[in-house]
Amino acid sequence: MNPRIISANLVVKLTSFHRERTTMFFTIAFPIILILVFGTIFMSQDNVSYHLCVQDLDQTISSAQSIKTLEHDGEFKITRVDPAANATQYVRDNKVNLVLVIPKGYENSLMQRTDFDNPDASVTITYIYDPSSSSVVTKMQILDAVLAGINQEMSRMPPFIRSAQRSILTRKYRFIEFFIPGIIAMSVMTLSLFSTVDSDTELRQKGIIRKLSTTPITRTDWILSGILYQFILAVISTIVMLLVSYAVFNVSLHIDAWLPAFILLDVIAFVGIGMILTRFVKEAQSAAAAANSISFPMMFLSGSFFPIELMPGFLQKFAKMLPLYYVNEGLRASMVFVDNLAALKDAAVIGVFAAVVFILGIMATKWEEGQ
Amino acid sequence: MTNEAEHVIEVEHLTKRYGGLLAVNGISFTVRKGEVFAFLGPNGAGKTTTVEIIETIRTPTSGNVRLLGMDVTRMKRDIVPRIGVLPQGFSSFDRITVRETLQYYSRLFCRGKTDIDGLIGLVNLKDKTREQYKNLSGGLKQRLGIAIALVNDPEVVFLDEPTTGLDPGARREVWDVLLGLKEKGKTVFLTTHYMEEAELLADAVAIISRGKIIAMGSPRELIESNAKYLLLTLQSIGDKVFEIVRNLGFEPVHDNHKNIKVRVAQTDDVLKILNAIKDAGASFLNLDVRKPNLEEVFLQLTGEALREDPKQMASK
Repeated sequence: MNPRIISANLVVKLTSFHRERTTMFFTIAFPIILILVFGTIFMSQDNVSYHLCVQDLDQTISSAQSIKTLEHDGEFKITRVDPAANATQYVRDNKVNLVLVIPKGYENSLMQRTDFDNPDASVTITYIYDPSSSSVVTKMQILDAVLAGINQEMSRMPPFIRSAQRSILTRKYRFIEFFIPGIIAMSVMTLSLFSTVDSDTELRQKGIIRKLSTTPITRTDWILSGILYQFILAVISTIVMLLVSYAVFNVSLHIDAWLPAFILLDVIAFVGIGMILTRFVKEAQSAAAAANSISFPMMFLSGSFFPIELMPGFLQKFAKMLPLYYVNEGLRASMVFVDNLAALKDAAVIGVFAAVVFILGIMATKWEEGQ
Repeated sequence: MTNEAEHVIEVEHLTKRYGGLLAVNGISFTVRKGEVFAFLGPNGAGKTTTVEIIETIRTPTSGNVRLLGMDVTRMKRDIVPRIGVLPQGFSSFDRITVRETLQYYSRLFCRGKTDIDGLIGLVNLKDKTREQYKNLSGGLKQRLGIAIALVNDPEVVFLDEPTTGLDPGARREVWDVLLGLKEKGKTVFLTTHYMEEAELLADAVAIISRGKIIAMGSPRELIESNAKYLLLTLQSIGDKVFEIVRNLGFEPVHDNHKNIKVRVAQTDDVLKILNAIKDAGASFLNLDVRKPNLEEVFLQLTGEALREDPKQMASK
């Protein structure tokens, strides 16, 4: 290992990157675009309210009061539907997914129950809905919960089972704050993987590697300078992502030594995978396809964009076999939960994985033409 | 025991096999210090495989190769700092300038005091020092490649087809650089399939065909020992002269420009042909008598052209 050779290589790589404006733009801009797009989506989910159409066929003070109750609950923005309208047709014509219909006689039944204690008095509120809508089930579940609350209140009996919520976090975090570590892990992965595969394939195709093999630079010098280069880019990219997150979404994340440690492990693991892929692909186009085949499943299944708990059981098991999962978990443990023990466990897993693939990558890297 | 002062490259019974393909078949040769050695052969003859084994890039299947007195299979680390290589199809980092590229390779050899300006002057790239590699023409790229091969002031310089793919003007510019190396007394191992390149530059030539060396010596020795005839070229109109020459018992042929070419053993044969043309009342526009060149020697030895016909290549 020769530091002078490694630094010479690093200078050439960084100079090339600096002059390759398009590459530089997309390296920095891609994760920022993701953060801005998904950040905006998640910010609105933190203050979510559903649009609810209500058709009041009773047109009484009681029915109006009930609609106001729904409105004040904060979960719904109410649109009133003309009582003369056909609710089913309204759903179709206005592309809404649900109309809640308060039937005629609502107030009368209510008075029977409250004033005359008639237990048989009841009323049926109908949901006219479009089952093809993905969010309508959630909306109906919320409505059911609200109606159950009203029923329970009318029974004048205190509830037997109550629920209490207690967060494992010392303060309330927003989804964007869980999301940012995942995006950092994913960006470092794609940067390291694609850059290694693209660059090594191109240099090999052009014969530059062959020329370098007639100079004192060794395979170790070459690989170490590549790691260092990827690490510098990953750190720059992470700093930019964090600055944008702080500036635009005012996130609150804990930054300590775990962050560069996980970035380095992420870089080593995926540079290693990149080196192994480069051994088996000859053309630049197949190199990109091979890198995509690794990065896409990793991106969507390892919990970078959404929690793996949302996936079916077998996919959750699969996710836990992916190296990026442990980078995501480790970064969240350190940046969100400030849990050093959990971060250490994740670092151990990704560290062992990185060491193994990196050694395999070194063995796979063809420096001389050989036999 | 190697006499390094005499032979800087010694190749003995070198064989290289790729699976079932025998690329190099037991060749032996030596290169003396300070000479320009041209390794000639058509595409696929085994030139690049041989030179890459000597450069320590490839390993031989069998045989011994010593460079500067060292075994190339065991002493790569000691050999590499003492040689310079321009590989076939040389390329470099697109976005790095000429000066930066030379500085980079100088640092790889850990040389603090490389005369970068001197190298740039040697390959005549003074006006292009700030130009990025991707913006250089083919000839300029090759000249930069030669400068890189010299960055460590090597004792032996390997140039693998340095002018392939260049237009005639660019080729001549590279030749000027190579003549400069020759003047500086560098040992140069040149692989090429351009005969005029070898004739102009080389002190010694080895011709390789289908993995075997079929002739070796100086260009003059090769021509004189293998082509004991003169080549008479006549430029004429019509077929009358062609018939006269054939009737004298010679075997005339037409070249691409419809000139008549005849191989004759001695100058008396030339006079005999000219007298016969005069006696028959025929005439010609021009004539030329010369010794054959290396290309014709190669054709005679191998029966195959040294490089593919451009028309045939275009049709592929």
